[in-house]
Amino acid sequence: MRNCFLIFACTAGLTAQVKYDAIVQGPRADWLTYAGNYQGWRYSPLTQITAQNARMLTPQWVYHVPDARGLRSSPLVYDGVLYITNTNSIYAVDARTGRQIWQWADPRAKRQGVNRGSAILGNRVYLTTADNYLVALDRRSGGVVFSKKFADEGKGTTSTSAPLIVKDKVIVGSAGGDSGMRGFIAALSAEDGRELWRTYTVPAKGEPGAESWGDLIEWGGGAAWLSGTYDPELNSLFWTTGNPWPDFAGATRKGDNLYTCSLLSLDLDTGKMKWHFQFTPHDTHDWDAQSWPVLLDTEINGRPRKVVLHANRNGFFYALDRVTGEFLRATKLIDNVTWAKGIDDKGRPMEIPGQDPTPEGNWVCPSVKGATNWMGQSYSPLTGLLYVITLEQCGRYNMSSQTPKPMSNFSGGGATEEGGQVIVRALDPKTGKRVWEYPMTGAGRMWTGTVSTAGGVLFTGDDDGHFVALDAKSGKNLWHFNMGELSTASPITYSVDGKQYVAIASATAVFAFGLFEPAEPVTTPAITVVK
Amino acid sequence: MAALAVVLPLAAQHGRYLNESRNPAIGKPEAIAAGAKLFSGSCGGCHGPDGGGGARGPNLVQRALWHPLADEAIFQAIRKGIPGTDMPPTALEDEQTWNLVAFIHNLTGPASEQKVPGDAAAGKQVYASAGCGGCHAIRGEGGRLAPDLSNIGGSRPLASIRESILEPSKDLFYLGNEGVSVTLKDGRKLEGVAKNRSNYSLQLIDRKGDLHLLRMNDVKEMTVRANSMMPGDYGKRLTKEQLRDLLAYLAGQTIR
Ligand code: HEC
Ligand code: HEC
Repeated sequence: MRNCFLIFACTAGLTAQVKYDAIVQGPRADWLTYAGNYQGWRYSPLTQITAQNARMLTPQWVYHVPDARGLRSSPLVYDGVLYITNTNSIYAVDARTGRQIWQWADPRAKRQGVNRGSAILGNRVYLTTADNYLVALDRRSGGVVFSKKFADEGKGTTSTSAPLIVKDKVIVGSAGGDSGMRGFIAALSAEDGRELWRTYTVPAKGEPGAESWGDLIEWGGGAAWLSGTYDPELNSLFWTTGNPWPDFAGATRKGDNLYTCSLLSLDLDTGKMKWHFQFTPHDTHDWDAQSWPVLLDTEINGRPRKVVLHANRNGFFYALDRVTGEFLRATKLIDNVTWAKGIDDKGRPMEIPGQDPTPEGNWVCPSVKGATNWMGQSYSPLTGLLYVITLEQCGRYNMSSQTPKPMSNFSGGGATEEGGQVIVRALDPKTGKRVWEYPMTGAGRMWTGTVSTAGGVLFTGDDDGHFVALDAKSGKNLWHFNMGELSTASPITYSVDGKQYVAIASATAVFAFGLFEPAEPVTTPAITVVK
Repeated sequence: MAALAVVLPLAAQHGRYLNESRNPAIGKPEAIAAGAKLFSGSCGGCHGPDGGGGARGPNLVQRALWHPLADEAIFQAIRKGIPGTDMPPTALEDEQTWNLVAFIHNLTGPASEQKVPGDAAAGKQVYASAGCGGCHAIRGEGGRLAPDLSNIGGSRPLASIRESILEPSKDLFYLGNEGVSVTLKDGRKLEGVAKNRSNYSLQLIDRKGDLHLLRMNDVKEMTVRANSMMPGDYGKRLTKEQLRDLLAYLAGQTIR
């Protein structure tokens, strides 16, 4: 099989461009958006690598990202080129060989920080800088088409998420909620970067919801530091929000602190909030709701529903109706949850008193890292299972009585992460029940996401630097490879020239794997040098 | 091939911008002028009158490309010298030393932050009539064969932009600018710039700006140009005023 739409021989010319419709269709040979498709599935229909032959996987190439440490970026692939970002920079590499084609960096950015990836549309790739510029580059040359500032880093906002492109809009978010800022989600024009709308995640004084706050509302946080998902039929975006600030000291912000630790449904055209659902009202454990809202049509309690699934840092796994925001169900995501007895039938946690951080420290489960986190989960329509990276970990939560000062790296306290185990869990979306689990060895440090395929394979990283392939049906290990360093990013899969690859960023490099084929000796042609 | 000698350590420059000095001399015209005067007296003997290199000291503009220094580090180099080399220590007052730093910062910093003479609007016309846009792009307009110039003023000192135009084959800063043409085993011919190549694969961008990701096993013959694809005669074709205006236009190309 040759994938004609992928190789240069068929595409060279003006016609090949990333169309919105191709993103809607979801991954095929290419991987066009952070989570693979708009529903947040991280699922690929490619079938060359299967549960039967995964043990034949071998490394195909490694690309060391210049100056990288702790990469968080999930690559995109289009037309044989793989794009990987690092702080204020992006690299285009040949997806078959790992050879760099171009690089772009903005050394004058006023901040450095995590970058989770890029977006692609037409002939442009988009990324944001840590100091809040949206940059559009020509995908072939890396030339700048525009670079436009959308937020002021002087107000505590930085940018870390991969932009999400829907139709003609580039949706960007805001990070920095642990030091005080006001979270927002904004739609910028894919054409020239101008702002089309901006929706704040924390109301201004006097607006509805402001009564759920105290004096520090202007610095309330609710950062939107992970990109979200999109339902083309409803024309709704689904975006999660982070913790209220100061993270660990709740006394200055009595109330629910809307709309922090929530899932928001926004109208794509206007940014208007259609509904919100708050997982953790008045959070004091830094349990941002950042984890992918996965969109799925399934049966809940025997009734067909358009649902949004959300595995939350607070220890519970939720199903909501994504049309209305109605709470449908919550089950325990991890075993060790000490702060709440469960979730009541309105969707509110039944809190156990005395679980807030204290000056001496209070032992609470889950830990500050949460029962899961932003690492990409995967839904496989083949198995009907949702694969979530979970963390069984507790920690000591401390509170500081210092007067909170925004943008001074003060979060009202702090927390420890002690021991703990990462476990991949396959969940049944219909019931929330566990179908299988794959416990890992390690120190609870990984942030690796997942990708699943129509070949029946689930790829993820172990908690100790191994990249692994599991049988998506049973959770049985099929193959592993030691990358030599912990991974904090999510894998993808793509195909070029009829060959399927699986790629993942380790801390410093991108690794690509494919099925073993005997090497072809290369005869270098005659090279003439002319003056 | 000398053409591939120097790779600009872009990332190494992070240090420079993140640690921008707060000394008031930096960027201050009077300080830069005072520094220039001092420089021609005490330093130009070795580094050349304009810092462009001399008998006993390196070209400071070029050196800053591979050894970018934060202002504080330039200060220390001037004060303490570089032991084991000809670069001597000095006994200048702090203020004078900072004036020298301001001069070097200006000399080696991005052109967009320098005071550049000339008429940028007229320079834009020169850019168009000289055909620069056939190979280069600025903000999405133009060719994709040659390096993007959208941020040329924001990333290169004026002296190095001038040199790129006047002596394109003298110093190619980027690996990835070789002009190549290949004949494939299937008979097709491609011509453009090798963004990268090895004995095993070639990543070529053609004159239309399309990428071709090739296996060397599919290549029958390859020709590599030893000098730049950029025309080498702009020094003759452009008048002094045209060049000045062109530089003013390019110095203003910055994405920040
Ligand atoms: C006697 C010759 C001489 C004189 C006079 C001299 N330099 Fe240098 N300078 C050198 C040499 C040689 C080097 C390169 C040293 C090396 O090999 O690393 C150098 C390096 C430098 C560097 C680069 C430092 C680095 O680490 O990259 C700066 C900046 C510099 N000189 C500034 C000055 C200034 C300002 C003055 C006048 C106050 C001055 N120099 C006077 C010979 C000289
Ligand atoms: C035939 C194509 C072509 C034309 C026309 C051309 N250039 Fe270039 N230029 C190149 C290539 C290729 C390079 C890459 C380095 C090299 O080969 O010198 C380059 C490099 C440069 C650089 C250095 C870029 C960097 O990032 O270091 C500048 C500045 C530049 N050109 C300006 C101009 C200007 C101004 C004109 C018009 C007066 C022009 N060029 C016309 C092909 C061209």
